[in-house]
Amino acid sequence: MADFQTSTHRAKWIFTPQQLVDKYRTTNQRAKQMLEKCGTTKMEVDADGSVTYPEPQATENSDKHSRPKSLSCEEEEFMRVYYEFKLREVCGAFYFPHKIQATALTYFKRFYLQWSVMEHDPKHIMLTCIYSACKIEENHVSAEELGKGISQDHQMILNYEMIVLQSLEFDLIVYAPYRPVEGFIHDIEDSSHAAEDQIQMFKDSATAEVDKIMLTNAPLLFTPGQLALAALRNANEVLGVVDFESYLQNILLRQSSEHTVPELINILDSIDSWVKKYKFPTERDMKHINRKLKSCWGHGSHDDKKREKKSKHKSHRSSHDSRNAPAPA
Amino acid sequence: MPSSDPKLLWLFGSAALVSQLLKTMGDGSNNRGSGGGGNSEKPEWLQQYNLIGKIGEGTYGLVFLAKTKSPPSSRGKSIAIKKFKQSKDGDGVSPTAIREIMLLREITHENVVKLVNVHINHNDMSLYLAFDYAEHDLYEIIRHHREKLNHPINQYTVKSLLWQLLNGLNYLHSNWIVHRDLKPSNILVMGDGEEHGAIKIADFGLARIYQAPLKPLSDNGVVVTIWYRAPELLLGAKHYTSAVDMWAVGCIFAELLTLKPLFQGAEAKSTPNPFQLDQLDKIFKILGHPTQEKWPTLVNLPHWQSDIQHIQGHKYETNALHSVVHLSPKSAPFDLLSKMLEYDPRKRITAAQALDHEYFKMEPSPGRNALVPVQPGEKVINYPTRPVDTNTDFEGTTSLQPPQQMVSGNAMMAGAHGMGRGGPRPMHMGMQRMQPQGMAAYNLQAQAGMGGMNPGGMPMGRGVAQAHQQPHLRRKDPPMGAGYPPQQKSRR
Repeated sequence: MADFQTSTHRAKWIFTPQQLVDKYRTTNQRAKQMLEKCGTTKMEVDADGSVTYPEPQATENSDKHSRPKSLSCEEEEFMRVYYEFKLREVCGAFYFPHKIQATALTYFKRFYLQWSVMEHDPKHIMLTCIYSACKIEENHVSAEELGKGISQDHQMILNYEMIVLQSLEFDLIVYAPYRPVEGFIHDIEDSSHAAEDQIQMFKDSATAEVDKIMLTNAPLLFTPGQLALAALRNANEVLGVVDFESYLQNILLRQSSEHTVPELINILDSIDSWVKKYKFPTERDMKHINRKLKSCWGHGSHDDKKREKKSKHKSHRSSHDSRNAPAPA
Repeated sequence: MPSSDPKLLWLFGSAALVSQLLKTMGDGSNNRGSGGGGNSEKPEWLQQYNLIGKIGEGTYGLVFLAKTKSPPSSRGKSIAIKKFKQSKDGDGVSPTAIREIMLLREITHENVVKLVNVHINHNDMSLYLAFDYAEHDLYEIIRHHREKLNHPINQYTVKSLLWQLLNGLNYLHSNWIVHRDLKPSNILVMGDGEEHGAIKIADFGLARIYQAPLKPLSDNGVVVTIWYRAPELLLGAKHYTSAVDMWAVGCIFAELLTLKPLFQGAEAKSTPNPFQLDQLDKIFKILGHPTQEKWPTLVNLPHWQSDIQHIQGHKYETNALHSVVHLSPKSAPFDLLSKMLEYDPRKRITAAQALDHEYFKMEPSPGRNALVPVQPGEKVINYPTRPVDTNTDFEGTTSLQPPQQMVSGNAMMAGAHGMGRGGPRPMHMGMQRMQPQGMAAYNLQAQAGMGGMNPGGMPMGRGVAQAHQQPHLRRKDPPMGAGYPPQQKSRR
């Protein structure tokens, strides 16, 4: 495994809070404009992994009120939060190790920096992220097996694989905070007189804290080591294994870091605030969002039939011909 | 209604994906015009390259030589394009391709092959990896000396090749990457140009480099060779370390000296992973039998236990290595070689230690251009370039060209790559010696990812990826300290 310091993770996938806001706004706006122009936001992904974009509707065929409304940035966030939780459930059902789950979660988060949930169904993306994470972490599970386990069409996973890899820009090695947690605990163990079972409790509790952190945006904002320290600090508050502040001082000293303890504490505080801010959508929220999303995707209209036909005769000529046909109302 | 975006997107290089995708949004009709239709034979991304021909073939796919079209003024840069077929079992993108991409995306080193682009061909869901092209490899260089020149590779070249190989390997190992498949054909050497004579470690456990298409595969042990396999692997060790790569380097070092593979065992092929008795016998014959004294964990290895009568049947007591490689047992190169061929992987020399060995401190010092000796009077050898099969297209299908055309195609290649260019160029680089690179300053972020390994912030003994790209070969190395972090001792 390569080194975090020179990694693509560090160089390309750690952002400022403002950058995240901007990215989410950009994809949201893009989907919104597409909805206005094309009447749908959904991209089709074909069996060959290529993406098909909706085309502008030829005429103003409906009045403003019956037009589907796009999701807000907040609603999009709810969707992501919901499916990240689902992702963890699926990984749990397959008894995948923590690392796979963390990798899949990271892929999912990164994917939706590039796309709106209105453009690609998060359910499909979630499964494809799990599938890809298994491949990368050398824990190969066939798409068929994965699909079967949760009664989903596995072809869809294969269709989405390429677009997911592409959206991740093939930066596939990701660093989760679980290993740093273990490392810090080994380190603390060496210098503390804590009993073995206390250390084990410390570890379990810190791992649970990391689990919480991984469901927030913090992994896109902080390094795995910082996330691990935030988790350890919270675990330590309950268990009191070490004097945490002097431990932080100790680490900074040993690596002659430019950071000061107050700076580091500041970072840990903001990680905590992400965990505190975490909000899981209610059933009612999800019902509302899903209804909106369905209308964004134009389900239940002629579109479905049309798409079916299209995928059967997927040639440039046919799509060229049909471009001149009147758009369905 | 939907329209297709270009069938082939290419990544990296630019602000890449998002802008690429945004660009293709909403104006799908334009894209279709250029992407499909009449010239659908040539994928869009391919149009940035001129295909020269096929240079290699392996189980995972094919390797092509191409030249970039831009900038139009220059000759174009040579690129090796490795095509990965979709995984056979219908399970999506080839895991081996993914493995190679994900590793190479994370690493940058002057002695490791550089991945410059990844292309996706949606037609057959295959991936094309574009690398900087290296004209030579150790297999061809050794063969040239053995079969054409009949004289050994000069000392400077051997030492420089070995040093660079260790330099790249030290980088990989300090990044926790074990190559596992080092052999002369996987170790490329740059041809004429800015990086002339620089080693590039290639093929991360993946496709094999060039196989002369006219030769039957069975003639050529190099494809499935076990000659470079470490004894702990041959004896069935379940776990192994970066020491397996060092064994291979030892074998390669000996081969550079003698032009012959050191341990040329016959491969057993009965079962998928058979016990390679003959290979072990070849090793024991030269190095003497391993003993529990020298290699305490030896007795725990599965094959050592289960196959006592065969393995321990012959008793080779003496170590004949020095006479095989024609080195004095007291010489520095012999000392280094025997430390690489240490039986006990735990005692075997590491890449970092090897770089610090006496051998590299003696004259001639290793240089950046391994192919051009330091001494002004010394003869420069024009190594043959990789044979190119100009008779294929990117799908790997052979085009129906008359044979004459193939001949002229090859002749053209020889003209372009062979003796015409790069005549003897005496270079004075006596002072030029590459230094092991120092550690980067260690900070919180550095620790973050590896915290699990090393929470205390102890130096982790890695030569940091400081690709010192020399703008010109003749320039001396910058003094240590200029632009480099303070030198720190690596872990020994």
